[in-house]
Amino acid sequence: MANQIEPILAKSATTGAPAIAAPVVVAVPQSRRPRGLGHFLEQEHILAGALLAPTLVILTLFIAYPFVLGIWLAVSDKVVGRPGNFVGLHNFWVNLNDTIFLRAFQNTFVYTFIATVLKLALGMGAALLLNHHFRFKRIVRAGMLLPWIVPTVLSTLAWQWMFDATFSVFNWTLMNVGLISQRILWLGDGTMAMGCLVLVNVWRGMPFFAITLLAGLQTVNPDLHEAAEIDGANAWQRFWRVTLPLIKPIMLVVVLFSMIATFADFQLIYVLTRGGPYSSTHVFGTYAYEIAMRAAKLGQGASISLFLFPFLLMIIVFQLWYIRRSD
Amino acid sequence: MINLGGVTRLDRRAFLRVAGAATGAAAVGGIPEIVRAQKAPSFPKGTKLNILEWVSFVPASDVEFKRLAAEFGKLAGVDVTVDLINMNDLNPRIASAIETKSGPDIIMMISNWPHLYADGLADVDDLAEEIAKRDGAYYEHNKKVSVVGGSWKAVPLCSVPSTWAYREDWFKEAGASKFPDTWDEWRKVGIALKKKNQPMGQAFGHSLGDPNNWAYSVTWGFGGSEIDHSGKVIINSKETIEAVKFTVAAWKDCLDEGGLAWDDSSNNRAYLAGTISGTINGASIYFVAKRQFPDIAKVTGHGHMPKGPGGRFYNIGGQGRAVMKYSKNQQVAKEFLRWFMDRPQYDKWMAANDGYTVGPTPYWERHPLWEKDPKLIPFREASKFGRWPGYPGTPSRKASEALVKYILVDMYAQAIKGMKAEDAVKWAESELKKAYA
Amino acid sequence: MAVRYGSPLKRAVTFYIPLTVMVGATLFPFYWMVITSIRPDSELYNVKMNPFFTLHPTFKHFQDLFELTMFPQWAWNTLFIAVVSTGISLFCGLLAGYALARLQFRWAPSLGTVIFITYLVPPTLLFIPLGDVVKAFGIGDTPWAVILTYPTFLIPFCTWLLMGYFKTIPREIEDCARIDGASRIQAMVRISFPLAVPGILSAGIFAFTLSWNEFLYALVFLSSPQQKTIPIGVFTELVRGDVFYWGPLMAGALLGSIPVALVYSFFVEHYVTALTGAVKG
Repeated sequence: MANQIEPILAKSATTGAPAIAAPVVVAVPQSRRPRGLGHFLEQEHILAGALLAPTLVILTLFIAYPFVLGIWLAVSDKVVGRPGNFVGLHNFWVNLNDTIFLRAFQNTFVYTFIATVLKLALGMGAALLLNHHFRFKRIVRAGMLLPWIVPTVLSTLAWQWMFDATFSVFNWTLMNVGLISQRILWLGDGTMAMGCLVLVNVWRGMPFFAITLLAGLQTVNPDLHEAAEIDGANAWQRFWRVTLPLIKPIMLVVVLFSMIATFADFQLIYVLTRGGPYSSTHVFGTYAYEIAMRAAKLGQGASISLFLFPFLLMIIVFQLWYIRRSD
Repeated sequence: MINLGGVTRLDRRAFLRVAGAATGAAAVGGIPEIVRAQKAPSFPKGTKLNILEWVSFVPASDVEFKRLAAEFGKLAGVDVTVDLINMNDLNPRIASAIETKSGPDIIMMISNWPHLYADGLADVDDLAEEIAKRDGAYYEHNKKVSVVGGSWKAVPLCSVPSTWAYREDWFKEAGASKFPDTWDEWRKVGIALKKKNQPMGQAFGHSLGDPNNWAYSVTWGFGGSEIDHSGKVIINSKETIEAVKFTVAAWKDCLDEGGLAWDDSSNNRAYLAGTISGTINGASIYFVAKRQFPDIAKVTGHGHMPKGPGGRFYNIGGQGRAVMKYSKNQQVAKEFLRWFMDRPQYDKWMAANDGYTVGPTPYWERHPLWEKDPKLIPFREASKFGRWPGYPGTPSRKASEALVKYILVDMYAQAIKGMKAEDAVKWAESELKKAYA
Repeated sequence: MAVRYGSPLKRAVTFYIPLTVMVGATLFPFYWMVITSIRPDSELYNVKMNPFFTLHPTFKHFQDLFELTMFPQWAWNTLFIAVVSTGISLFCGLLAGYALARLQFRWAPSLGTVIFITYLVPPTLLFIPLGDVVKAFGIGDTPWAVILTYPTFLIPFCTWLLMGYFKTIPREIEDCARIDGASRIQAMVRISFPLAVPGILSAGIFAFTLSWNEFLYALVFLSSPQQKTIPIGVFTELVRGDVFYWGPLMAGALLGSIPVALVYSFFVEHYVTALTGAVKG
C-alpha cells in the first residue's frame, strides 16, 4: 500500500525516501571519472538545480509575471486601455453583492461536484467493463477516447445542434417512440440547461477517467480477489474492499486534475449557453470572461477569476493531506 | 498624453495637406490619383497595414473587402493584410492588442465598442467629418457610438439592421396582406398564426444579437428606457411594465416557446425549416433561403419593427473602423479608411453585401442595389429608426455592462418564466443601478 | 485481474448490455457529427426527416471545408504546435520529475507544490498579461507564441505524473549501475529514463491532447489565417454571424480528431500499461 501511494505524492518525496539513498551516493567511487562538469553534477543539489532549471525558467518567464500582474488586476480598477488604480478588495466586495456572481458561484460548485462524481462513477464503470477480455477490445478502447480528443468547441457545437429547440434529435426520437408529445426545451430552463452542461462535460471527461482507472485496475493482483472470494465476499464486496482501496491513489490524482479543470471550465458553457437562459448557467469562467472581455473591466473580471484561487488551493491542500494521511 | 497629443496634431497637419490633394483628385474622379498624390510622402517602402474584421455573414463581402484591401496595397505601395474572425471572438483580441500595444492597425468596432476601448483608439475627427461633409450627416446611432467625449474614435462603416423576416403566404392566410404596423396589430395576427401552428419566433437566451433586438426595441417602443439623458436609471416605469406584460402575453399566444433556449442562429434554422412564420433577423435568413431554399425565399418578405405607444425603434449599434492608438502606421490606416469610404470603393463593397449592410449616411439609401430587390427595402429604411444601447443616454461602457449582464433580456426571460412583470422590472432596476453606479 | 466467464445470459446482462450502452452513449455524438457532415443542407434543415440517416450522402461539406478554408494548413500548424510543445513539456517534466522524485535537496517538497499550483491559475485571467510576455519575446502571431505558452499548463501535469513513475522504479537498480561505475547522469539517462518510457508516453498523450484542443491562447496569440490551429480556424471562420456552416464545421471536427484517435489506438495499450506502472509498488 505505502509504495502505491507514495509515488504520486510530492510531499512524501523527502519523508518517504529510503534511508539508504544518501550513503550509497557517498560510497560511489568517483576517482575513475575526470573531474569537471560531470563531477560537479555528482552533487545532488547541483544536479537537481540543473534538472529543474528548464522547468523553472519556463514557468518563471511565462507564469510568474502574468500571475503577479493578474493579482494586481484583481485589486485594481483597471479597464482596457487605461492604467488601473489600487482599490483594495473593492472588486471582491462588488462581487459579493452581485446576484449574477453569486449564482455563478453556486453553479460552479454544483457543476464541478456533480460532473466530477458522475465522471468518476461512470468512468469507473467503464473501466470495469473494459477490463474484460472481448473482441475488438483495442478499437473500443481507442473509440472511448474520441470525446476527449475532438476540439471542445466543435463537439459542443454538435451537442448544441442535438439540444436545439427545433431540431433536437432527442426530441425527435422520444416523440417517435411515443414517450413525449411535447418537445423538451433542453436549454430553455435554468435547471435543465445546467443538467445538459453537466451531461456534455461528463461525456467529454469520462474517457480520461475510464482509461486512467483501467490502468489502475490492471495493477490489482488477481490473487487478492480469489482470496476474498474464498472468504465468501460477493462481487460488490470484492470491489469495495479489495479493488477500490488498491486503485484509490490513482483515482485521487485523476479526480484532482479533473476537478481543477472542471472548476475553471469555460469553453463548453460559453459555446452552449453563454450563461443563459436568464443568467442561470454562468460559472466563474464565463462570467469573468463577460465582465473582463465584453465589458472591458479587466480588474473586476480578474477578481471573479481569482475568486477561484483560494478554493482551488483549499481543495489541493485537502487532497494532498488526505492522500498523505492514507499513506 | 502630451506627447501623444503632439503627434496627433502633427499628423493632422500632414493629413490636411494630403486631404486637400485628395479632395481635388476625387473631384475629377480619379481614385488612383488620390492615392498616388499621397504615396510618395506618406508611405515609405515596406510599410505594413494590418486590418482585423469580423467574418461577415455574407462571404462575398469578405472576398470584396480583401480584394479592395489588396488594391489599396498596390496603389499605395503598402503591404496590406486582412485577418477575419467571428464577431464574438473579437473582444479578447482587441483587449490583448490594446494592453500589449501591438497588433492590427485598424480594428472593426461593433456597436458601442469605441466607448469601451476609447483609450486605445486614435482620434479620426477630420476623416469622419470629411466623409459627413461629402455624404451628409451620419445616422444618429452611427454617430453616437463613434463619438466619445467629443472626438471621433471610429469611422462609421455601416449598420446591420434586423427587421422582421416573415412568411407572406402564411400572413395572408391569417388575414394580414402586409406586415403589421403596430404591436397591437402584430399581436392579433400572431394569435391567428399560432392557432394554426405557425408561431413567430424570438430568442430570449444569452446571445449578442436577436434577444437584445427584442428587449431594447420593445422597451423603447412602449415608451420605457434603461436610463434617461443624464444616465439616471428609469427602467421601473409603467411603460416598461407594459412592455413586459405584452411580451409575456405574446410569448404565450404568438411566439414559439422554444425561444428561451435560442441563440442568434436558432431562428434562422427554425425559419428555414418552416416551423416559424416570422422572426427578427438580419438579411441572412433571406440570403440563405435565396441560395438554398428558393421556395421559401419566394414567400419571404421583410417588415418593419412594429410601432408601439412610444414609437418605432430599432436596436442598431452600427459598425465602424477604428485606427489603433499604438499603431505606427496611423497615417496609412487613415488613408486606407478614406480611400475605402470614398464612393467608388464603398459602392462596390456595398453591392457585394447585397443589402445586408446599410451605409452610415443617408446618401447610400440611393444605392441602385435597393432597386434590385424591393424585398430588402425595410433594411434600407431601418437606420432612420436606429437607436443605441443606453438610449437616450450615451452608449457608454456602463451601457456595455448592462448588455453583457443581459439585464433587459433577462428581465423579459424571467417574466416569461413566470415572474410577475412588476418584480421582473424591479429586478432589472436594481441590476441596472449597479451597472450604472 | 482475471475475469471469469459466467453463463452467456449472465455475461450478457452484466457485460455486453452495459458495454453496448456505454459505447453507444459515448459514440452517439460522433455518429451525429458524421451524419451531419454528409447530409445535404436541404435535409439538415428538414424537421420531418429522420435525422439518423440519409439517402443522399454527399461529400460537398468536406469539399467546402477544403475550398472555403485553409484546413490542411491549420492541421499542419496544429500538429507542429502540439508536437513541439509536448516535446518541450516532456523534456522539462522528465528532468524535473526525476529531480523531485530522486534527488535529495532542501526545496524538493515546496518546489513540487509550487509547480502544481501554477496549474491552478485560470487561463481566462492569464492571457492578458501573458500577451506582454509574448510581445516582449517578439513571437506574436508565430507558432512559438503558443508553443512556449502551452507548457505553462502542460509541465505541471507532466512533472507530477513522471514524478510518480520515477518513484515506482526501484532505486536499487540505479544504485547497482552506479556501483558498476556509471556516473549519476549516466545512471539517470541509461537506467531510469528507459524504465520511465510508459510514463513518458502517457504524459505525452495527455499533453498532446491538451495542446491539440487549446482555444483561448491560440485565439489571442495567433491572428493571421495561415497561422491558425484547427479549433480556432474552424470555429472562427465557419461560424459566420448567425449562420453556422454545420456541414463543414462537423467535417472539420471529424478530420481534426479521427486521425489522432487512430494514432492513439496504437499507443493506448502502452498508455494503459504505462499508467499501470504509475501505481505499481
